[in-house]
Amino acid sequence: MKTNYLLPNRFKKIGWFLFIPGIILGILYLIYEPQPEFLNATVFAIAESLFEFSFIKNNVYDEITALLIIIGAIFIAFSREKSEDEYISRIRLDSLVWATYVNYIVVILAIIFVYDFGFYWVILLNMFTILIFFIIRYNWALLKSRKQIQNEE
Amino acid sequence: MKNNIKVERAKNNITQAQLAELVKVSRQTINAIELGKYNLSTILALKIAHVFNQSLHDVFELEESDWRS
Repeated sequence: MKTNYLLPNRFKKIGWFLFIPGIILGILYLIYEPQPEFLNATVFAIAESLFEFSFIKNNVYDEITALLIIIGAIFIAFSREKSEDEYISRIRLDSLVWATYVNYIVVILAIIFVYDFGFYWVILLNMFTILIFFIIRYNWALLKSRKQIQNEE
Repeated sequence: MKNNIKVERAKNNITQAQLAELVKVSRQTINAIELGKYNLSTILALKIAHVFNQSLHDVFELEESDWRS
């Protein structure tokens, strides 16, 4: 069975090389909000207010961090396994559904219980969590199916 | 769906790994099918039956519960 929309296997490794630095920069951002001078740049903004195009000054630390995490996580999540087959596709689908549920349960709880600036942080982290939940659940399920083989022997 | 892949493997003296290789899937997949944890595709079922030189019905069998889901 052909699995569509997946990247070649080698993208998984590239993904980790982007994702891990991204996560480290992200954690530093949550603690210190660093704004290193050399990352000050003039950027093209589509929406300072919507569809008013302009060039603005901005420190791109957080933009780089977010891109590293998201692109890295997509590469990790959606690269073909070395032995991608129909059962692995099934694990993939199950994990994606699971991750979507968990992600939106978190959002729903945040809508009900978290207010003001706290809510902003939840939504900010929520950009990444669906991918991260998927990666954890999917790899855990793969690992479990591999372990089962060892028990059989 | 019941299957007797394990029995057929024993008859033909084929390991899970060898069967996986013959039908071009991972070993986890063969293992999950044998344990009844995964309902395989028609193509894979036909391939497995072919490897054992059997008809589909000799390897795979519907169960009562399959009519309910």
